[in-house]
Amino acid sequence: MLLNLEAVTKNFGGFQLHPLNLSIDRGEFFSLLGPSGCGKTTVLRLIGGFETPTSGRIILKGQDITRLPPHKRNIHTVFQRYALFPHLSVFENVAFPLRLQKLPSAEINSRVAESLKLVEIEDLKDRRTHQISGGQAQRTALARALVAKPDLLLLDEPLSALDPELRMKMREELKTICKKVGITFLLVTHDQEEALQLSDRIAVFKAGQCLQVGTPKAIYEDPTDSFVARFIGSVNEILGELQGEPSPETGEMALSSSVGTFKIKKNGQPLPRQVSIILRPEKVRLLRSKSTTQENLMEGEIQDQTYLGSRTEYAVKIGNSTFKVFEQELERLKKRRLNTGDRVFLAWRSDDAIVLPQSV
Amino acid sequence: MKQTQILPSSAWAFLIWLIVMTLVPFSIILGMSFLERTELGTILFSFSFKNYQQLFDWVYLKVLLKTVWLALMATLSCLAVGFPVAYYLARVQGPMKSLGLILLFIPFWTNFILRIYGIVSLFGSNGILNQLLSAVGLPKASILYTRWGVYVGLVYNYLPFLVVPIYSSLEKLDPFLREAAADLGAARFQTFRKVILPNIKEGVFIGSLFVFIPMLGEYVIPDLLGGAKEAFLGKVMVEQFFILQDWPLGSAIATMLSVLLLGALWLQNRWASKNQNGAKEVSSAV
Repeated sequence: MLLNLEAVTKNFGGFQLHPLNLSIDRGEFFSLLGPSGCGKTTVLRLIGGFETPTSGRIILKGQDITRLPPHKRNIHTVFQRYALFPHLSVFENVAFPLRLQKLPSAEINSRVAESLKLVEIEDLKDRRTHQISGGQAQRTALARALVAKPDLLLLDEPLSALDPELRMKMREELKTICKKVGITFLLVTHDQEEALQLSDRIAVFKAGQCLQVGTPKAIYEDPTDSFVARFIGSVNEILGELQGEPSPETGEMALSSSVGTFKIKKNGQPLPRQVSIILRPEKVRLLRSKSTTQENLMEGEIQDQTYLGSRTEYAVKIGNSTFKVFEQELERLKKRRLNTGDRVFLAWRSDDAIVLPQSV
Repeated sequence: MKQTQILPSSAWAFLIWLIVMTLVPFSIILGMSFLERTELGTILFSFSFKNYQQLFDWVYLKVLLKTVWLALMATLSCLAVGFPVAYYLARVQGPMKSLGLILLFIPFWTNFILRIYGIVSLFGSNGILNQLLSAVGLPKASILYTRWGVYVGLVYNYLPFLVVPIYSSLEKLDPFLREAAADLGAARFQTFRKVILPNIKEGVFIGSLFVFIPMLGEYVIPDLLGGAKEAFLGKVMVEQFFILQDWPLGSAIATMLSVLLLGALWLQNRWASKNQNGAKEVSSAV
């Protein structure tokens, strides 16, 4: 393990970080994901050394760095607003950490050049920081944080200040650069799509607590908490009560809810009677007529539809709840056109439902 | 853009005030500095550079050098005292910040002459300082009515004018620059020397210049705290007008001081517009 957080806590103002245990592997692209105020930035600042934990230990490469000041940690940061030095050129900004190490100037020149090349801004090296664009400042900040080859690179919402098109492009590049330089990246973001696309593993935070750590696929498909499920991707939620006992062979059991009775599958973990069923919109099929071959079926009416080009999003009203489903364009064109108020059926398989305890 | 009016009507009042109270007197002074005076002290309308040549007389040059030296020392002392204060105020948060700023500004609400008399009662021969010194058995310090009196008065009076620009340039600095420097391996002093100082040095320099130049022309402080022996440029200038009746020479001294002040303003402007161009370049680059 490259970095270990052992029961790290932090209290300040009204905020409390619950004891956090986290391990990050060498070369990994790890993301801390959560809404603003969830504590993810605090965790980053604790690792960077800008805050000291109230309790617990931070171990980097086997060395306890809990109380080490930032300048003694071999961890560099790409700040949200870049924090480039306005009195220095792009070149000198990138050379800054190397000059502090008093390296020979020939080595500084070649390493800065290499770093600028990596982020493709060699031709901007003589510019002042106020003469470059936001995207270029971003690249400069990245080059500056990478040039001294830190053990760990921290990225504090680095793409949030960029316009959407540039953000997409930088995402691709971040991933490529991470793999190319072999440095461990720790990204803080509130953008779930960004976390899914970039990360090897994600830790989801809410109100000072780490709810789940896992690969993007695990977080998306097997959330252990309904907050995680709702935060990553869109969801349809059914609140209900489990009936009877699970069948010994299949693990299937019945669920009764305000929108009908369904068959669901328990995945092992003990559950209370009151549960919440999470259905991803892409796991629900939209049918124009009743079908008997489907495991679970709900009847409702079209409330709204939004054409999104490659697919259409429908809002279907069932009882007092509204469900969101997609239909691919190819599928939609083959079938009858739907209008608001049309009766439709939603079908889903018990395997595709995520069953969680109801959150309070 | 509308151009029905050259200036809004309210601005005319200010413009007239500016012309009557500043531009006209300044022109008179400027014109007079090129005139001569008769033995009787009346003004002779003949153009000459005599007054400016006279400024290079050893008598005046000595006063000028002494004044420059004292103002320079006082400015450096203001820096030495004021910089840590400004630095502290910019970094501290909460009630200490408000308290510090209030303490800094309270003297401005007190009459200038009263403040000077405050110094007199502190440093006079029977002042608080000397009473304390004799209480512990030390000899009296004669500060008042020496150049030290002028020095103390200058530092005390001009200190806030230097603290404020330094404080504001520190405040304007992105707080993340400090973190970025530490993050990249700079210890506290390295951060200060390599990041903080280079970014505020213009503010510090301009602030110092704006303290230094008015000090050169200071009249009241040397007059009240320096006594009769201490020749100070501002005092010499006033004496030319009201005691020696040499208005043209007094005007030449006044003109010289004004030119220095304008030079400082020009320098500040140049820096300000340089930074503005910087800002424009950003917006065009984005």
